[in-house]
Amino acid sequence: MTRQGISQTAPISEIQRFSLHDGPGIRTLVFLKGCLLGCEWCQNPESQEISPAIAFYKNRCKKSFECLKVCPDDAITKGNHRINYTKCTMCLKCIEVCNYQALELIGENLSAQDLLQAVLVDKHYYDSSNGGVTISGGEATLHSGFLDEFASLCQKENIDLTLETCGLFSFTKLVSTLAKFDLIYFDLKILDARLHKKATGADNKVIIENARRLCDQKFPVEFRFTLVEGFTDGKENLLNIIAFLKEVKKDVIHLQKYHNLGEAKIGIVPGAQKKLGLPAYPDDKFLAAASFFYQNQIKVLFDGEVVAFD
Amino acid sequence: MIQLQKIKQSPFRITGRLKQLQDDHLSTKASLGAERAIHYTEFFKKNAKKYDSKYMKMAQALYYHLNNRSIRIYPGEIIIGTHTEHRIGAICQPELAGTVMLEDLFSFEKRSTNPLHIDKKSKSILLKKVIPYWLSKNVLAKSFSTAKGLKYSMDQLKATFYIINEAGGIAHFLPDYEKLINKGTNGIRKQINKKISEAENLTPQNRDYLKASLVSLDAVEVFADRYKKLAFTQGNLEIVEMLENVPRKPASSLKEALQQIWFFQMIIQIESLDQGISLGRIDQYLYPIYQKEIKAKVFSENDFKETFAAFCLKLSEVIPLFSKRMTKLFGGLPSGQALTIGGIGKDNKCAANELTYMILDVIEGFKTRQPNWHARISKRSCDKYVKRAIQVVAGGGGSPALYNDDVIIGALTKRKIAKPRAQNYATIGCVEPGIPGESFTSSDAAIFNLPIALEIILGEGKRISGGLFKQQSGKNKTRLKDIQTFDTLMELVEVELAHQISYLKKNLDKIEKGNADFHPTPFSSLLIKGCIESALDSTEGGALFNASGIQGIGLADLADSLAAIKTVVFDKKEHSLEEVAQACRNDFKNFSTLKAKLIKAPKFGNDDAQVDEIAARIAAMFDKIVSSYKNTRGGDWIPGAYSMTCHNAFGANMAALPSGRGQQESLADGLAPSDGSDMAGPTASLNSVTRIDHEHFPNGVNLNIKFSSNIIRGKKGSDILRGLVTGYFNNGGMQVQVNVLDKKLLEDAIVNPDKHRNMLVRISGYSAYFTDLTPQMQREVIDRTFHGC
Repeated sequence: MTRQGISQTAPISEIQRFSLHDGPGIRTLVFLKGCLLGCEWCQNPESQEISPAIAFYKNRCKKSFECLKVCPDDAITKGNHRINYTKCTMCLKCIEVCNYQALELIGENLSAQDLLQAVLVDKHYYDSSNGGVTISGGEATLHSGFLDEFASLCQKENIDLTLETCGLFSFTKLVSTLAKFDLIYFDLKILDARLHKKATGADNKVIIENARRLCDQKFPVEFRFTLVEGFTDGKENLLNIIAFLKEVKKDVIHLQKYHNLGEAKIGIVPGAQKKLGLPAYPDDKFLAAASFFYQNQIKVLFDGEVVAFD
Repeated sequence: MIQLQKIKQSPFRITGRLKQLQDDHLSTKASLGAERAIHYTEFFKKNAKKYDSKYMKMAQALYYHLNNRSIRIYPGEIIIGTHTEHRIGAICQPELAGTVMLEDLFSFEKRSTNPLHIDKKSKSILLKKVIPYWLSKNVLAKSFSTAKGLKYSMDQLKATFYIINEAGGIAHFLPDYEKLINKGTNGIRKQINKKISEAENLTPQNRDYLKASLVSLDAVEVFADRYKKLAFTQGNLEIVEMLENVPRKPASSLKEALQQIWFFQMIIQIESLDQGISLGRIDQYLYPIYQKEIKAKVFSENDFKETFAAFCLKLSEVIPLFSKRMTKLFGGLPSGQALTIGGIGKDNKCAANELTYMILDVIEGFKTRQPNWHARISKRSCDKYVKRAIQVVAGGGGSPALYNDDVIIGALTKRKIAKPRAQNYATIGCVEPGIPGESFTSSDAAIFNLPIALEIILGEGKRISGGLFKQQSGKNKTRLKDIQTFDTLMELVEVELAHQISYLKKNLDKIEKGNADFHPTPFSSLLIKGCIESALDSTEGGALFNASGIQGIGLADLADSLAAIKTVVFDKKEHSLEEVAQACRNDFKNFSTLKAKLIKAPKFGNDDAQVDEIAARIAAMFDKIVSSYKNTRGGDWIPGAYSMTCHNAFGANMAALPSGRGQQESLADGLAPSDGSDMAGPTASLNSVTRIDHEHFPNGVNLNIKFSSNIIRGKKGSDILRGLVTGYFNNGGMQVQVNVLDKKLLEDAIVNPDKHRNMLVRISGYSAYFTDLTPQMQREVIDRTFHGC
């Protein structure tokens, strides 16, 4: 937990302003780096590893090799990938000299105080639109001390706060932090334990248990579910999710479609993610799934608005 | 995207008579209305010498024209009268800039953008009689000695340093339509006669002016009587009955009021110039008549909306006569007839009323080129009104543009306008706030190219582009190597801006004087408070409030360029200023690394205080220089920051800039960041814009933001837009206009223009049919930052 006077830090992979799809109103979306899951369809692969890394955008590179001239570690290669990460000591000189923004630091360590300053610049827009800040990832709960401090700072500034989580965290450790959030988007993936482990690399027991506890203890939790062809959209999984929602007395689900934009980011930083090669989730299947939820008395929200079938 | 929600039916349905009028309007080709030019030429050749005073010459010319103009009433018309002899027409005022526009006489019909039909006979008369007569007698020619005039004209046509719009006539004001509908021409006549009877206080000049005012009233009455007679012979008793009352008597119904206003709206544009004649707060001044109709139980909501829509079609019949050259500056056929709704009243409370909502229904359901719809919003506006206004904006078409009462009223009161008056402001032309019925602010007097100052500094006193005839145009020839600090550079920028603006001042003074000496406008002056009272024409300073609006454009380009120089030359010391100048001279050819560094430097529009503060300093400088001058009518110069499509035209004549903008590329639009340089989304972009104190621009700013239609859709989209606008206004933003566009639809409109004739887009201060834009401007609309997420 926060020690007095010292602001905790966390690696931030991106701060995205004017974000409209992750909570009410105009929001700033903050991506924290590092995740315990490794979902095959991960849409933010650059946020999986917890350590900061230098990303290389091949399409922006003009091959001026200013980076090569300044690198003290001989970590720049002229090959397909510009950085040899085993040699790189993260001095960041290459980023400074690149004139084309082809190299970028992903996961700069910011203190909770710094992050607060960074999100405060749009405070008047949060206020005028009932918006706020959404913490996403990676998995933000990995940085529990930081998260707690940041949430407290936002509370003091009257900033509405949403958390997006995969649900894999220690409930007892996080419970007081979670109480500082105005909304928790909880991601449901696959309820079958074996299939979940296969697709994400992790057990879902703690995740489901956490979901139950949050609901039992009346946290402002809403469930989100991403349709990924062949992974999450099987009828059995849909039925399991419906049953689970009924069990925890929820009648709404935020339905999302898999998009493959994340695949373009595979390879810009080191990581284990493989390309799935799936197209964006088709509209007709989305409608079929939405209607299936609807028939089972679960209201479907898409992009914050109710999908109606009458 | 999935669209499952039912599309909500617009509350205003276009049926029957109105549908017919709309179809007829959209299928009518625009024509050049030559009769105004021909009649005025005939009059000045034959009859003008009969009259001694300049006022009487102009008034009698108007009378002669209106007494002879061909007139028609079209089938099903609710409001009658056209401002030219054609249904959709461009008028030619040969004594103003009309002869200059006629440079395209042989290509009007064939040109691809905004073709104009013209019949052979008229063409021949224009060519043989009109143009030769006015070549040496137009206001511009008379204002300058020939050689100076020629040089001036060349500069103007090239759009380099500045453009003086007043050279084409002044116009741009808010006629006192409240007075008109309450008094009628009879009442105004009475007022003039009373003034004449105070003979002992009047100079002969005063008397001449007042006599001409009476003839101007005769002119509108004779015009209306001719229409009445025509309606009678056609058995159109509906129209006859209406014209029994107006324009002479006070309007007894909303329909009569709109007809009465249209008579004056037409004729002001015939007499003066068809630019920026604006309608003011129509929902406010029509309200008492509405209440009377309600009380008498004769009001019909649908009839009102239909009549209002027909009135809007009338406004849309006015298209400007622009040559191809002018179209680059002011594309999309703007006539700048602004119409203001909402805002706060004199009691400081929300002034939105039933008419406001009905008018919003018309804006939403009946898209027309004109008027320029402007909605005032204040912190005190009621929730229902703001919500509805934003909902209409979110529906697309770019209307209404939104104005922040709190900032504008503050800016006006700082310019010595008492608060109750400032609270009653309405907008003129594109974006300019003015006081209805009391001010003659020549709000669109001139447009000044800000980054030209830097181009001249980089050229050590000469422009670095501009062809063979480059000449010393700068104030000083400071060698670049002697500029050792960024502050020195900023000082030089200020000196150069002041120097160039002093040239503008000299030329504008001559043109103002020319307008006063050779082109008084007694008809227009009838509805400007102060003119009859002081027996002085508006061109001579008769109005209660006088001013001249001077716009600075390319603010973002100048700020970005200075920030790039600061970063690369003064902070990092990687390159010399000479190198930067050389790179610009060469359009960055062989300077690709330097160009990349310049582009990498901070850019306005990303919420970066360092560059935003440079922009703020330039705004303050421009304000200080402009505000130090007075015009020849005794009013202040007031700065504005809107560009119409001039940013395009100025850019086309400029060298590359240190911002990384290439040679001939467009400058930034109004107060907006340079195209594509705002990379951190709309909130960051707007934060940069509000780091500039908008009170520096009491003559108005334009800020265009564009969203692709899949962002701003449905209720959520409308809520987001409201949040964005409210946040921006609370933070000091003065004005915003929002385009909600579908990129695919726009692409299709380029390929299949006929399918999309009524697709409106917001340009600078006005909406235009996308298909009326030049190909280059169409590309600009499509390419400019589409805010998505």
